[in-house]
Amino acid sequence: MISSPLELEIAFHIGPVPIAKPVATTWALMGFLIVGSALATRRLALRPGIVQAFLELIVDTLDSQVRDTMRVDPRPYRALFGTLFLFILLANWSAVIPGVEPPTARLETDAALALVVFVATIYHGLRTQGLWGYLKTFAEPSLFMVPLNLVEQITRTFSLFVRLFGNVMSGVFVVGIVLSLAGLLVPIPLMALDLLTGAVQAYIFATLAMVFTGAAVAPEKDAAPGSDGARHGSD
Amino acid sequence: MRIDWWTLSLQTINAVVLIWLLAYFLFKPVANVIAERKAAAGRLLDEAEQAKSDAQAARENEQATLAEMAERRSAALNAAKQEAEAQREALLATARAEAERMREEARAELARQATLGLEAQMKHASALAVGMTKRLVDRFPQSSLVSGFIAGLAAAAAALPPEAKADFEQDGDARLKAPRPLTAQEEADCRHALEIGFGRPVAFSVEIDPSVIAGLELENRHATVHNSLRADLARMAAALDGHDAE
Repeated sequence: MISSPLELEIAFHIGPVPIAKPVATTWALMGFLIVGSALATRRLALRPGIVQAFLELIVDTLDSQVRDTMRVDPRPYRALFGTLFLFILLANWSAVIPGVEPPTARLETDAALALVVFVATIYHGLRTQGLWGYLKTFAEPSLFMVPLNLVEQITRTFSLFVRLFGNVMSGVFVVGIVLSLAGLLVPIPLMALDLLTGAVQAYIFATLAMVFTGAAVAPEKDAAPGSDGARHGSD
Repeated sequence: MRIDWWTLSLQTINAVVLIWLLAYFLFKPVANVIAERKAAAGRLLDEAEQAKSDAQAARENEQATLAEMAERRSAALNAAKQEAEAQREALLATARAEAERMREEARAELARQATLGLEAQMKHASALAVGMTKRLVDRFPQSSLVSGFIAGLAAAAAALPPEAKADFEQDGDARLKAPRPLTAQEEADCRHALEIGFGRPVAFSVEIDPSVIAGLELENRHATVHNSLRADLARMAAALDGHDAE
């Protein structure tokens, strides 16, 4: 149970670096995701099994979502948004494991994810439109919007991670309070609600990341919804 | 609220590392297998389309071959029909010619048979007439068989052309055919009548010829003076032949 949502518990130190519990949990989740992915994609075939079909469903749905939202070829963005969604989903759902504190219930984790989205937005904007083209997007629809657009870059990033932090932290906090007051089985409905909330928040975070990045990149003509934007080659 | 910058930094690094590792272990392999399946499906569709095109071409080729065979068969049938028709026409022409030839031969045979029959009938009629005449003549007095024809002999001799008369006078080998031996008086009458007919005496010898029936006939190597029933019957038979021939 979390004593305070704003207090960090240090699990151990690596030299002078304090390793907080969310970081350790994140490493565990990363290990689970990476090992699981490596095992699941070890023997991919043209005739898919159940696991491969499920993975392909995830990737195909993700590509469709990117195409529908950003109107671009999903290949450069697939790993970013897919990882954000899977990690946040898994982190949120880790709350159901007794004794595990969701990393997304900590402000630093959500801020780090939002920081990655912020940097990725700038990177893809510069990559696709160049410096001048990217800077021009701040003057749209008119030059007077430049200050507001600059502020928006910061505020929407804050709203992105504060929304995730608030929803997950509040869920965990409520469950902890109810558990301390009512006993063992009472928080179960609230935990089930947390599962739904965690999935919705993961989807919202990933979708907003797509929207922010899509606003920074130029839409491609050959990536209309429903078209096959995937091309052979390395991502 | 206090931000732990160590945690923020580590989580940022963690997020970047996780993005990179999942791209390598999860998204890239799955996306590649999806692309491979799409490519394989495309190849299969292309192959199916090609196979369909090949099958269509083979079917069209087969139909063309069948049409060509049917055309050849029709042409062969027409040629066979024409050849059969030509052979039939040739056979018919040959049969017609053969039938015409046989008909002409039959006609000719019929005509020949008719002619032969007619001739036989005429011969029979002549023989019959001669026989009847002989029987009738046998009832006449023997003197009338010669004496009744002496005047006629003189008239016939008188009617001869001068060249024939001269030939009888110069030849000296004239024979007087009579149905029976002449009496001396009859021979003398004959000489007298011939002398009157020729205008001078004519030497002759008497020759008995029963086929004369009745009458007298004077002849030499070149001419004959007919004055007998045989000559009359022969003229009648000739006249009948000429009438039948018409």
